[in-house]
Amino acid sequence: MAMATDIGEAKTQTAAPPAPKRKPRKAAGRWRITAYQFGVLLALIALWQVGLWTGVLRPYIYGTPLGVLQSFATQIANGTLIWHFWVTAQEVVLGFVIGCSLGSLAGLLLWLSPLWAKILHPYMIALNGVPKIALAPLIIVWFGLGMESKIAIAAIITFIVAFLQAYKGTQEVDQDLIRLMKSLGASQWQTFRKIVMPGSVPWIVSALRLNVGFALIGAVVGEYISAEAGLGYMVYYSGQLYDLNSVWVGIFSLMIMALILEAVVARIEKLLDMEV
Amino acid sequence: MSLTQETVLEADEARVVYNEDSDTPVEAVRSISLDLRRGEVLALVGPSGCGKTTLFNAIAGLIPLQGGRVSVGGIEVEKASGHVGYMLQKDLLLPWRSVIDNVTLGLEVRGKPKGEARKIAQELIERYGLAGFENSKPSGLSGGMRQRVALMRTLAFEPEVILLDEPFSALDFQTRILLQSDVKRIIREEGKSVILITHDIGEAISMANRIVVLTNRPATVKTVHEVPWGDEVTDPVAVRDRPEYQEMFSKIWQELELAPRH
Ligand SMILES: Nc1ncnc2c1ncn2[C@@H]1O[C@H](COP(=O)(O)OP(=O)(O)O)[C@@H](O)[C@H]1O
Ligand SMILES: [Mg+2]
Repeated sequence: MAMATDIGEAKTQTAAPPAPKRKPRKAAGRWRITAYQFGVLLALIALWQVGLWTGVLRPYIYGTPLGVLQSFATQIANGTLIWHFWVTAQEVVLGFVIGCSLGSLAGLLLWLSPLWAKILHPYMIALNGVPKIALAPLIIVWFGLGMESKIAIAAIITFIVAFLQAYKGTQEVDQDLIRLMKSLGASQWQTFRKIVMPGSVPWIVSALRLNVGFALIGAVVGEYISAEAGLGYMVYYSGQLYDLNSVWVGIFSLMIMALILEAVVARIEKLLDMEV
Repeated sequence: MSLTQETVLEADEARVVYNEDSDTPVEAVRSISLDLRRGEVLALVGPSGCGKTTLFNAIAGLIPLQGGRVSVGGIEVEKASGHVGYMLQKDLLLPWRSVIDNVTLGLEVRGKPKGEARKIAQELIERYGLAGFENSKPSGLSGGMRQRVALMRTLAFEPEVILLDEPFSALDFQTRILLQSDVKRIIREEGKSVILITHDIGEAISMANRIVVLTNRPATVKTVHEVPWGDEVTDPVAVRDRPEYQEMFSKIWQELELAPRH
């Protein structure tokens, strides 16, 4: 696949000279890296297994690769893993979307009011400094034990990050550009729409990146604190029962979710890059 | 295009002080009086930090005057309103917009419909040698081409007066020379009235009709020179062989040298 598109692009290159040159060996290099990546995974599993065989690692504290596989198979078969995955995925995605969109919007709009930016400044510093997950117990109290509270935790944390980043983006816009717009007779709103908003996109996008992690942390920690479903709940509950194999299944599932979300955000990043 | 005596811009004892109410006020412009005639290129040369950009900002209405007045087209400047086209050393092109959409920026601000704005931009782009690059992003252009796009953006806006603040100083020597004669030709063809800030005396002599030499900060007008071939579109290199060039160059050089330092 990757090879084919590379060749396709190489052909169009003669038609469009400004396109950056591609190194033909890049595709081959990519496959090699993928192979090594799998190698690292296998090596870690092998190390784990050797540790168990030699008695350095205790199976009831560390779990076993085979046990993890078995736990995975049963939980897939009885549908519980899919269910937990689905619950957490909904919490993460909804929280992420709500937090990122409202946060970015609020951060951008704050540019319009330097007075409010000044008033809110100490609060922004405080919010930036506080470990945002410390808010989780409060939010559980406010929003209850269901999914809503996990969505709220993820949304509030990602809101703060998106808000701060978007506002920072507006502050980093070249002051000479704003001067230019003023000299053209532009209104503040025109400057906002044409310069400040598009100019802040890189910061908003970098907040999306950060927020994938924060949304996951928010949802999972929320589930640790109190929940009836979700991967965080599953990990916590299995840990209480010393079912380490299930704990690993939960952790690996979270990793997979993180990878999927990262890939989606990378795609959005690319789209915005082309637009902007 | 020959000069009329009609004045498009007039500064009358303009004075700018930064942080006037603080303990450490900075008087940047003391008392500048000058006039710009329609169709003229007026060069301002002066030591760096003497207050040239400050004067431009005041003319554009971006900062207030603490004394005197500036009027453009007979109307006193009170705030920024798009009466001038402002071009800086930085091209300030928007990296997310194509060349043509950069050129239309000022027209959009003025509320011109997109289609009309693009037509005006397209014409300028073709007339001044950027055809084929309409849809390129600025990052794909050389420094000289980017400045040309910035000039197109300024021209498309059709301001009463164009302010050029060291527009070529970031370019390499050859590009600068090329752009100097190009810009002069374009300004002549479009019949624009221009004030050009430069610290390159040669650039001032080859591009301007008149040259105003400023003192050190706080800026005041020291001398005004009339360039004998002001209306010709000169070759900035060939012009250096004329005896008047040499004479004027060393005169201005001395005046800048003699400017008292604080
Ligand atoms: N916003 C400002 N506040 C205070 N001082 C300023 C400000 N802008 C410029 N100055 C000072 O005013 C003087 C003139 O600056 P400027 O007009 O930029 O000079 P030039 O363009 O001639 O090099 C300089 O001494 C500079 O430090
Ligand atoms: Mg300056």
